[in-house]
Amino acid sequence: MKKIFLGLTAFTAIALTACGSNNTSTTNNQNANAETTAVKQVADTTPANTATANVSVKNIIDAYLQLKNAFTKDNSSDAAAAGKTLQAAFENFDVKTLSADKTKSFSDIADDAKEHAEHIGANGGNIKHQREHFVMLSKDMADLIKTFGNGGQTLYKDFCPMANEGKGAVWISEMKDIKNPYLGKAMPTCGSVKEEIKQ
Amino acid sequence: MSRKKKILFALFIVFVAIQFIQPAHNKSVQVLPTDFIVLYKPPQQVQQVLQNACYDCHSNNTNYPWYANIQPIAWLMASHIKSGKEKLNMSEFGNLSSRKQISKLKEIFNQIKDDEMPITSYKMMHQKARLSAAEKNVLLNWLQSKADSLSENY
Repeated sequence: MKKIFLGLTAFTAIALTACGSNNTSTTNNQNANAETTAVKQVADTTPANTATANVSVKNIIDAYLQLKNAFTKDNSSDAAAAGKTLQAAFENFDVKTLSADKTKSFSDIADDAKEHAEHIGANGGNIKHQREHFVMLSKDMADLIKTFGNGGQTLYKDFCPMANEGKGAVWISEMKDIKNPYLGKAMPTCGSVKEEIKQ
Repeated sequence: MSRKKKILFALFIVFVAIQFIQPAHNKSVQVLPTDFIVLYKPPQQVQQVLQNACYDCHSNNTNYPWYANIQPIAWLMASHIKSGKEKLNMSEFGNLSSRKQISKLKEIFNQIKDDEMPITSYKMMHQKARLSAAEKNVLLNWLQSKADSLSENY
């Protein structure tokens, strides 16, 4: 009898430990989709307000740049904090200021980018994993800026062929000088400006 | 009865009682057209690895082991599967936007490459989920080329 109990206790302990390694953050796709449809209907009847959209896009860009700068300094906890700010900036973006088709392309980019920001926010201490998400996030940001503008400041699209395990990756920067967010202090100047996104 | 025996007996009663509270099984008869394997038609070897090592927690269809009916294991499994599916549901992969599909493919690639997935506790209980170097390679190469070809068209 005792042996059975001991066995059961051990088994439960193993199962419980397994549970601990799980990530607690959740994303609810269905909810997000429902919201998008609802918002779209509103947007159809509201004229586009580019001035407000500009401010919100600027919030997103600023949070991204803060994140990028944390990575150039190899600072994982600052990156996590900036990731959370960026996630909030996406969530607080007022889609009602956009026209219907712009809402669609915004949601497409934001749905993806938000998740990357969330992962970066939740993985302070694991800079390798954070940077993997930063590769995909930066691609989203480049697309976002292409459609929604630079938020009123000159930006640079940089490329480093050595990042992303030699597959190369882009990032957006506010300065002309190269400060590499993927390789950080190990190779701060790797990469080059591919495009200047003027005001 | 000694004090120790009384405690053991009480625990035993609780153990028996919780057996009657069973969570619903994650078991769908239907394979959706949005299913990852239906959608991307990976080679047989890749399909097998996905089904053996991923689908239990990341699809609408779990292949339950015998001990899955013993509490509290069933509860723990149910909660693992729920959070696994929230992150990635292979059965409904086709519902994601193209952008997200590419992102998820790359994320799956990274997680497997970094040995973050399958998780250790799952590998402990599932021998088939302990991927050999060759299996891992085939899977990673396929994921990489799929992500690349989708990125080109996007």
